[in-house]
Amino acid sequence: MTATQSKPAASGSAGETRTLTLIQAITEAMQEELARDERVVVFGEDVGARGGVFLATAGLQEQFGQKRVFDTPLSEASIVGAAVGMAVRGLRPIAEIQFADYMGPGFDQIISQAAKIRYRSGGQFSAPLVIRTPSGGGVKGGHHHSQSPESYFTHTPGLKVVMPSTPYDAKGLLKAAVRGGDPVIYFEPKRLYRAVKGQVPTHDYTVELGKGAVRREGTDLTIIGYGGVMPDAEKAAQALAAEGVQAEVIDLRSLVPWDRDLVLTSVAKTGRAVLVSEAPRTSNFMGEVAYVIQEHLFDQLLAPVMQVAGFDTPYPYVQDKVYLPGANRIAAACVRALNY
Amino acid sequence: MIQPFTSDPLQWVAEDGRPIRELPARFTPGVLRDLYREMVRAREFDKKLVTLLRQGRTTFYAQASGMEATQVGLARSIRAGHDWVWPYYRDHALALALGVPMLDLVSQCLGTNSDLCRGRQMPHHFGAARQNLVSISSSIASQVPPAAGNAMAQKYLGVDEITVCTFGDGATSEGDWHAGMNMAGAAQAPCLFVCENNQWAISTNLRAQTASENIHIKAKAYGMPGYYVDGNDIVAVIEVLSQVAEQVRAGNGPALVECLTYRIGSHSNADADAEKNYRTREEVNAWLARDPIVRVERLLDHLGAPVSAEERADLISAAHREVDEAVLKAEASGQPDWRIMFEDVYADLPVHLREQAAFLRAEQEGVQA
Repeated sequence: MTATQSKPAASGSAGETRTLTLIQAITEAMQEELARDERVVVFGEDVGARGGVFLATAGLQEQFGQKRVFDTPLSEASIVGAAVGMAVRGLRPIAEIQFADYMGPGFDQIISQAAKIRYRSGGQFSAPLVIRTPSGGGVKGGHHHSQSPESYFTHTPGLKVVMPSTPYDAKGLLKAAVRGGDPVIYFEPKRLYRAVKGQVPTHDYTVELGKGAVRREGTDLTIIGYGGVMPDAEKAAQALAAEGVQAEVIDLRSLVPWDRDLVLTSVAKTGRAVLVSEAPRTSNFMGEVAYVIQEHLFDQLLAPVMQVAGFDTPYPYVQDKVYLPGANRIAAACVRALNY
Repeated sequence: MIQPFTSDPLQWVAEDGRPIRELPARFTPGVLRDLYREMVRAREFDKKLVTLLRQGRTTFYAQASGMEATQVGLARSIRAGHDWVWPYYRDHALALALGVPMLDLVSQCLGTNSDLCRGRQMPHHFGAARQNLVSISSSIASQVPPAAGNAMAQKYLGVDEITVCTFGDGATSEGDWHAGMNMAGAAQAPCLFVCENNQWAISTNLRAQTASENIHIKAKAYGMPGYYVDGNDIVAVIEVLSQVAEQVRAGNGPALVECLTYRIGSHSNADADAEKNYRTREEVNAWLARDPIVRVERLLDHLGAPVSAEERADLISAAHREVDEAVLKAEASGQPDWRIMFEDVYADLPVHLREQAAFLRAEQEGVQA
């Protein structure tokens, strides 16, 4: 087999599942894609023998060798830039940036090269690649290990932006990202890596980018979030249910593109929207969601769209948990919307 | 083997056209004449594009006059259309010599329907997949890490290709340059880095750019050989680059070649009065005397195969005709309309772009979205 051929996807029996953590699901996605397609390579700082600082790539170098899974110099610009060049020449790179906070040095490579090469070349060249990176707070990381920079990337046409919150989605979205034709920034909510477990099929599957998921059905208001805030959003919905309020909970899963139909259908039904993310409030991606809701549903809204976000401060170390929008803060915003 | 890390640029032909070392047998008068024609073609392209600029038919142009030996020499040192090239924005002589049709370059400068890049970039930022010439970015040195990655992919795939990455002297100050050089060195990737050192990054001279004695010695820090060449001596450029390219192709890892040359014209139309502002007429005159095209003429004289005035005039008028025909053909293809704006952003057309395209269609065509 030549290095440019791909095999049919590995598959187990349809219907079989087992319980995985979110990070196990991510590892499995890479393992299966490495096995499926020899064009797939995995690299970054410490991803080889060490298996990544969070062990997302643990065992992959052992299984696939140093040619397929390898350590790079400590340089985000060269990791992202090399991924662009590899993708242009026909590989399917999965690059790891050790923490989303360190995407700064690779930023120009992401926005000037990865995002633009298809457009600027008139479709002659393209860079289908995946940049995986742990993001978000809640692990006592201080401001250089806790940030949520997704909005920088949602603002750049040419990039797709994804953030899962369940093991099922983590695996399915990552596999879809690897097989797609575009550069994908794949944020991993690191505080959920081992805190969240879920059923994951043994057979091969993907989750389409751009589709949200309804986590809980309800009729009184819609809570919309993504990534690390989702368990708290569901907790808030449970607390409200105890008070007789039925909240619908939507997980966006993808920010670019995002599932406007799902959001608008839900908010048209409930009349109230509470948007939750842990990124700083100003220029938060949820501002776009709020804008689209008011544009389409202005006269059906029973209350202003509420936003629960991080604060416009650098991420604080000591007040780690206070900074994050927990279930209480989300529930309080829901009550404000209900009582408006 | 050619010596890396020399203190002076390697030269084969002196400014008066006499070979300083034995002229390699392959540089027959016929071969030198072909190189001469290609250099004249690029020089005249420069002049014609400046005229188009003055006529308002294009809006940006970055001249390469004075740098033809470096660019044409590079094109003749690699396997055109087989090796991959990540160029920078002053590389049209390189593109022409690699076989990119004049029409493709002119079309990109005019942003017409015949533009392979579909009018998406400012003029003089071309790309041509058929020649493995990757689309140029304005963001300085941002092509360097991707070129390293391109070469890493070639090594991974086990193909008999190398990657060439060109840049000016200014680019060597950018973080991306160091990142890409380091990555290629660590990965032992088959990447040939070529610095077209024309000594000016817009108005910043090399001496203000770096305290380093020169560019090629920086290669030492990345574990690769660095070569220093007289970039106005096309024999030297081809001798060094072709040998270094084969070393890179043989799996010996990346290399850096610094071609010392000079940009005779301004950086672009944005600094058309370069001599008034940041450099002296004396300096420009000194480099005009080292003209790489004149040097080949003198060499051919020396070899007893001189270029006649008539032959030179014919070459010049042929190049002008070629540009004129390309301009007419490009302009006749028309300009892309609003539709191209939404294509090639992604592999598919996501719903938000479909809606925005519908909005613009309604606005542009007066139809209901």
